[in-house]
Amino acid sequence: MHMADALVSPQVGIAAAVVAAGCLGVAARKVKNDRRSENAVALMGVLGAFVFAAQMINFTIPGTGSSGHIVGGVLLAAILGPWAALITLTSVILIQCLVFADGGLMALGCNILNMAVTSCLIAYPLVFKPIMRGGRKSTARLSVAAIAACVVGLECGALLVVGETELSGVTALPADKFLLFMLPIHLVIGLAEGVATAAVLRCVADYKPGLVFHTAAEDGAVKPSGHKLRNVVIAFAVAAVVLGGTFSWIASTNPDGLEWSIGKVAGAAEPVASGLSAAASDFQADTAPVADYGSTFSGIIGIAVVLILLWAVSTLLRRRRVHLSKAQSPVKEEGHHK
Amino acid sequence: MSDRLQRAILTLNRLEQPGGGTDGTDIIAAPDSRCLLVLTLIYLVLMLSVPLADIERVLLFSVYPIVESALVGIKYTRLLKRSLWVLPLVALVGVFNPILDTRTVFTVYGFTVTAGWVSLISLIVRGLLAMQAVLILIYVIGFYEVAVAIRRLGCPAVMSTQILLVYRYLSVLLQQVLTMRRAVDARGYGRRHMSLKLWGIFIGQLLIRSLERAENVSRAMHARGFTDRLPLSRYRCWTTTDSVLLGSWTVVFIVIYLVPLGTYLSKVL
Repeated sequence: MHMADALVSPQVGIAAAVVAAGCLGVAARKVKNDRRSENAVALMGVLGAFVFAAQMINFTIPGTGSSGHIVGGVLLAAILGPWAALITLTSVILIQCLVFADGGLMALGCNILNMAVTSCLIAYPLVFKPIMRGGRKSTARLSVAAIAACVVGLECGALLVVGETELSGVTALPADKFLLFMLPIHLVIGLAEGVATAAVLRCVADYKPGLVFHTAAEDGAVKPSGHKLRNVVIAFAVAAVVLGGTFSWIASTNPDGLEWSIGKVAGAAEPVASGLSAAASDFQADTAPVADYGSTFSGIIGIAVVLILLWAVSTLLRRRRVHLSKAQSPVKEEGHHK
Repeated sequence: MSDRLQRAILTLNRLEQPGGGTDGTDIIAAPDSRCLLVLTLIYLVLMLSVPLADIERVLLFSVYPIVESALVGIKYTRLLKRSLWVLPLVALVGVFNPILDTRTVFTVYGFTVTAGWVSLISLIVRGLLAMQAVLILIYVIGFYEVAVAIRRLGCPAVMSTQILLVYRYLSVLLQQVLTMRRAVDARGYGRRHMSLKLWGIFIGQLLIRSLERAENVSRAMHARGFTDRLPLSRYRCWTTTDSVLLGSWTVVFIVIYLVPLGTYLSKVL
């Protein structure tokens, strides 16, 4: 679900980053004010690294021959509480983006919204916690809560991916068809993720039941109250307004880049050639290697030539540096031996 | 599986220090981390603002990764190869464009190039360039300096501390996963895949060990006077060279964005 930079326009990327920063700001304040667990900071750090490491281990999905791994949002929220989990998962997403080139820097806000915010601030408080709160706390209930929360979190994430991609205008696929493509796939992924999360939580419940058989109110990780839900609703209302505003701005100032370019290429307002110029144009049309070409294609050729030249010059400069450094290194080594 | 883990550990180790991703043939010194981070963001905003149909302008933005990689001592082909990883994701989203958008843009040797193909290619080029810019950032200054830059640009301490802690324990836990994985493989009699049940126990055990480690780490940190904020042990100061680098590249990006250089080049040719 990691979105690359090419899939988001700067307007959508910045709007998503603003909303994500708002959520993270609230999370940072909540975690800072929560002094009840002195191990919280180290726990968040190590569990962030755990999620990353756990993602490297795949399990076989029975009957399909394919494999899957954990995403970890609901798991982290179940252990750390939603706000601390949001910060931890954001750290993981940032490291994945910068160190392992998984997801883009401009799309970071989108990725935080799609993966961290949906699982920690929507799926956990609205699905996992209500299921875990009532009745007898059994591993069966834990499994149902984990699966339902993972499915909801991933479906919300898929919904946001479609919205962000459509708002960015990078795909010609209509939103309804894109949704039909994305939602069923993520339903299956969500089920697999939910089963995996349940398997881990059940294992932890066997060894350290206090870690998972609790509501957030008991361990002080988060206070379930009307305020929290209200904050989430406000955050998403702001997101909707910002994204909606961005969309209308894009719609009004740049209705269709393709149409604009095609209009430019078609050259409706191009002056009509006459005399010698017309003769030259006819001659060019007859002899040119690429007939019926527009400025786009020749422009591309021109740019390609310039870029190849730049590359060649850069490579020559680099090779010269390599040559110089190789020439200098034996002298250094000899000096060192002496 | 073990190869993947080992590769991840090697990548982390290589990017530990500033300049860890370069090959020592740099022409200019590594800039201040804030400078390169801001420069990368400006590049991404302007490059991604170009409409998909304006493929000439998108291609012109290749100037930055080509020239900057030579300046900082990274082989461009290495950047190019690494950035190819983004192709499947980008292509998956753009693959429908040629089918759905069949308006003719231009004709080459009798072949009609449609708007859908132009937007698909433009999307792929944008994806590669964005990835290359981020790779330059991380190869030149390393992850620690990026985290430092994030804090020095005003990010809350709890967030930047968290990023640094996750990064710090990543290599430790990856090493632990590698050890556990080898133990499972050694007792597996050639079993190549983990069942869900075995995987659940494996990851659950890893989680419990991680929690125990977290408690020890926390006690050790508090014993040494930790106050929820990691001290920054090293960082470079902003110099005139950084201002020149940021200013000159920004001017280049704005010129590429505003001036129709592709049209001029087509006239020259």
